[in-house]
Amino acid sequence: MAIHILEDDPGVSDSLRLFLQGLGHDAFVYPDAESFFEADPPGADDTIIVDLNLPGISGAQVIVWLRTLAEPPRVVAITGQSQTVIEKLRASLGDVMVLRKPLSSRILADIV
Amino acid sequence: MSPDAHDSTASTVSEARLLSVLDTAVDGILVIDERARILVYNKACESLFGYAPGEALGQSIRLIMPSDYAAAHDGYMESYKRTGTRKIIGIGREVRGRHKDGTEFPVELSVGETTTPEGRQFIGIIRDLRSRKEQERRLNELQADLVHMARVSAMDEMGAALAHELNQPLTAIMLYLQAATRAMARMEQGAAGAPDIFRQVLDKAVHEAERAGNIISRMRHFVEKREPQRRPVDLNSVAEEAVELVMLGLRGPGRMVRDLDRNLPAAIIDPVQIQQILVNLLRNAIEAVKDRPDPTVSIRTARRSDMLTVTVQDNGPGLKPEVLPTLFKAFSSSKRTGMGLGLSISRTIAQNHAGDLTVDPGGDGRGAAFTLHLPVIENVDTVESAAGGTGDEESSGRGQPGVTP
Repeated sequence: MAIHILEDDPGVSDSLRLFLQGLGHDAFVYPDAESFFEADPPGADDTIIVDLNLPGISGAQVIVWLRTLAEPPRVVAITGQSQTVIEKLRASLGDVMVLRKPLSSRILADIV
Repeated sequence: MSPDAHDSTASTVSEARLLSVLDTAVDGILVIDERARILVYNKACESLFGYAPGEALGQSIRLIMPSDYAAAHDGYMESYKRTGTRKIIGIGREVRGRHKDGTEFPVELSVGETTTPEGRQFIGIIRDLRSRKEQERRLNELQADLVHMARVSAMDEMGAALAHELNQPLTAIMLYLQAATRAMARMEQGAAGAPDIFRQVLDKAVHEAERAGNIISRMRHFVEKREPQRRPVDLNSVAEEAVELVMLGLRGPGRMVRDLDRNLPAAIIDPVQIQQILVNLLRNAIEAVKDRPDPTVSIRTARRSDMLTVTVQDNGPGLKPEVLPTLFKAFSSSKRTGMGLGLSISRTIAQNHAGDLTVDPGGDGRGAAFTLHLPVIENVDTVESAAGGTGDEESSGRGQPGVTP
């Protein structure tokens, strides 16, 4: 299994990758949804960590797309947005877990 | 009645009338002769300078001058009598007066000249500027408060953006430190390469902490209440920092185009106030293009003859004709965000800089363009960068002597 990180902030994506690799996972970083789509589609036992605030195609759109896959991977949304913004996105997010930044390393470790 | 007696009565009457006119005047009125001796000293002068007529009449005018003027005054009179070059006569200027108790105060002095049988005489009319100065000071204070308020309100709106922006480095710092802890554990087990990784990760964490600090100090520069101060600055760097501030927390689609003329002379401005104007204009422009296809905001600096201009243009729908008459009036905005106050303050600030803020409303497929005009001031030696920037500038940036244009 692999963890795919869709995050445009280089500090956040690099530290996430290092952290997850430290936990023994294969971690891959994509600065936007477009470059993620160019790669091979994720497998059923992969995990996608996606920032909701991506430039271009939004994180919410990525989540909607992932749900259309025959074998959808696990999805964790991350965001620095306020609770109101998250509530507004709730319809398209479905039951996806949303972690608010700053991220807690303990919760992240528990999830993945 | 002899003709002589008649004349003398007439002259006494007109003299009395003149004296009563002099004493009714609100302004101090003095007449001195060519040797600078006081010949006429009205009632207003008594309250201005504290000397009784008996103490002042016949004395040198130096009596009511601060010592630095007094020393130079004889020279001025000599120079005028010799060359006829007028430095104050018929012009009037702001000078300082000195009260009997030694206090000095600002006065506006106008001087006229008349030739009499006894030689040339000079008439000085002296207006006390203390109350006007006080008003000016209070006006300045109020304006500084207003500018501060507008900045704080902009800050309030940027609060959410700021929180978001700080979350990024904070997240990164925490994860890097976790990774460092892990590398440390592996170091203790003697893993090769672990010390290098440990150092690298710590460096990255430090870098992210610095980034968080820079975000804070940029915002603090913007919001801090301070005395207005003008100094020569590079307008382009003010514009760039305004863009950076506005882009805090702003993502997603949309382009910000910078078209900066790199050969601009320095502008003598209060960089924080001017930045405030540009931030307002940029935020309005971004708001205007929010739901447009290919949203684009551009900021352009240029020199147009004796003015420097900064134009913020958007490709939004343009301004409706009905909003134009009240566009620059305070509190006219229908928006909750208080941008109306922003535009009104912005124009006031621009005009206080001997410039202006103008608008091309656009419409019919064109977006609106706001242009800030600032006068070119030649012969400026030193140019400083804008107000914001890193925390390092903070101590040196404040309390610098203002430059009076």
